[in-house]
Amino acid sequence: MAKKETFICIGCPLGCEVTLTIDEKGKILGFAGNKCKEGEKYVFEEYTNPVRILTATVLTQNSAQPLLAVRTSKPILKTMLAQGAAVLARTKVKPPVRVGDIIVPNLLDTGVDVVASANLSS
Amino acid sequence: MKLQDIDVAVIGAGPAGMAAAIRAREAGAENVIIMERAEELGGLLHQCVHNGFGLLYFNEDLTGPEYGNRFIEKVMDTGVKPLLETMVVKLTEDRQIGAVNAKEGFITFRPKSVVLAMGCRERSRGALNIPGSRPSGVLTAGTAQRFVNVEGFLPGKRIVILGSGDIGMIMARRLTLEGAKVEAVVEILPYIGGLIRNEVQCLHDFDIPLYLQHTVTQIHGEERVTAVTIAKVDADRNPVPGTQRKIQCDSLLLSAGLIPENELSLMAGIRLDPVTGGAVVDETRQTNIAGVFAGGNVLHVHDLVDNVSWESELAGESAAKFAMERDLGEKGTINLKAGTNIRYIVPQTISGQRDTTLYMRVNEPQENVRIKIGDIMTKTVRAVKPSEMIKIELSSEKLQKVNKETKEIIVSCEKRGGK
Repeated sequence: MAKKETFICIGCPLGCEVTLTIDEKGKILGFAGNKCKEGEKYVFEEYTNPVRILTATVLTQNSAQPLLAVRTSKPILKTMLAQGAAVLARTKVKPPVRVGDIIVPNLLDTGVDVVASANLSS
Repeated sequence: MKLQDIDVAVIGAGPAGMAAAIRAREAGAENVIIMERAEELGGLLHQCVHNGFGLLYFNEDLTGPEYGNRFIEKVMDTGVKPLLETMVVKLTEDRQIGAVNAKEGFITFRPKSVVLAMGCRERSRGALNIPGSRPSGVLTAGTAQRFVNVEGFLPGKRIVILGSGDIGMIMARRLTLEGAKVEAVVEILPYIGGLIRNEVQCLHDFDIPLYLQHTVTQIHGEERVTAVTIAKVDADRNPVPGTQRKIQCDSLLLSAGLIPENELSLMAGIRLDPVTGGAVVDETRQTNIAGVFAGGNVLHVHDLVDNVSWESELAGESAAKFAMERDLGEKGTINLKAGTNIRYIVPQTISGQRDTTLYMRVNEPQENVRIKIGDIMTKTVRAVKPSEMIKIELSSEKLQKVNKETKEIIVSCEKRGGK
């Protein structure tokens, strides 16, 4: 039995609702509802490999600034966002930190590092 | 640098002010200062820890602090002088600035030109007229953002967000990832107030319910918010009787619009556009007061910081030129008038002599349209939405078609027909 899944394309203000038809093995059978080719590309990515950049803050020690903004250096699977945030909730950093410094290497074995988005001074 | 010798004074050190000051220096102004009431440069960017900044300007997906940092470094490198913890409290029609800080008390000076870059603030509960008691737990989305991302406090555990502006949706995701439960995002209009990417990546990704054409009709709780009542609204945005439903929560976040912060502009007698809430400017971003320019959210609320930076660079460049030459050449004599489905256009006036980028917004979402700039040019656009700003480049070559006597050009957004 083929099943259907819908996505909203974020490529332009149109926001097409694209319906994907997938067979029982997960193979894509077709796209419907997209008004351009970009929609197909976007939905293919969202279906096969939906990734996001995780952004958060981590607690600091020995700094007047209570938090440091951090991000993953590359996008990670969106299903990993909550787990990733949980790791960062337990992470603490000490100054000095410069933008781009690695805060958590290889987050949850994704191969992606969490890096500082901002500087931290004491 | 003596205050008497200042060429360009920029008011506000957010993304707009930094871009304007940097460009003013690059364009040759010698003494450029940037006046900021906070203790550091960067404005709101510090608390916008999410990504999506700089996709257009740097061709990179940056977070707010990263985007801000690049400009902060450039402010330093170009020799702009920041005057921090200094609040401008006075601006006169002859460009006198009065400011206060803890070190010097009240200072007053007259720079050769001024760039207004005060940004905007959020519409608060008072401006929304929500009935109910006055418990704690009602705050704007931006205040919540500061608590969560800068101060390190979670403002609540069960949250309802009124309004689907970008900050509200971004906070829905942020609060969810920090362990709060976002019960609902409630939007009075039939469509979201922010960008589609935020609806998908902040609401859908986390299964946060979005109630379109709904509003909050009551806030419950004495000491602390205990619940809100929401209801469906009709076409006139009035609550429909019988559709009320109570949602238990401990906080209500408001993300219902931004208002340019123009008290200083009004004090100086700068003419404001009643639709944008910002100054009326020509394509150099000069206001009706010679030598006073404006850029960024103080001029009109943008959805992307990239455009704030570009627009403010233009204001900064014009301010530098005015400081050095006392004259910018042709003034804006042609009015751009909003026609069918156009809410506003910035700049409001043009000289017709220079390349110009027009920024505009529509009133209603529409598909498959043609945007007409008088009979000078038309541009076909697949879809337009009030929340997504439209940018149209108007070359001086195209503008040569404009008759010298032209006083007004109507900009309209019309459905493409006959196909």
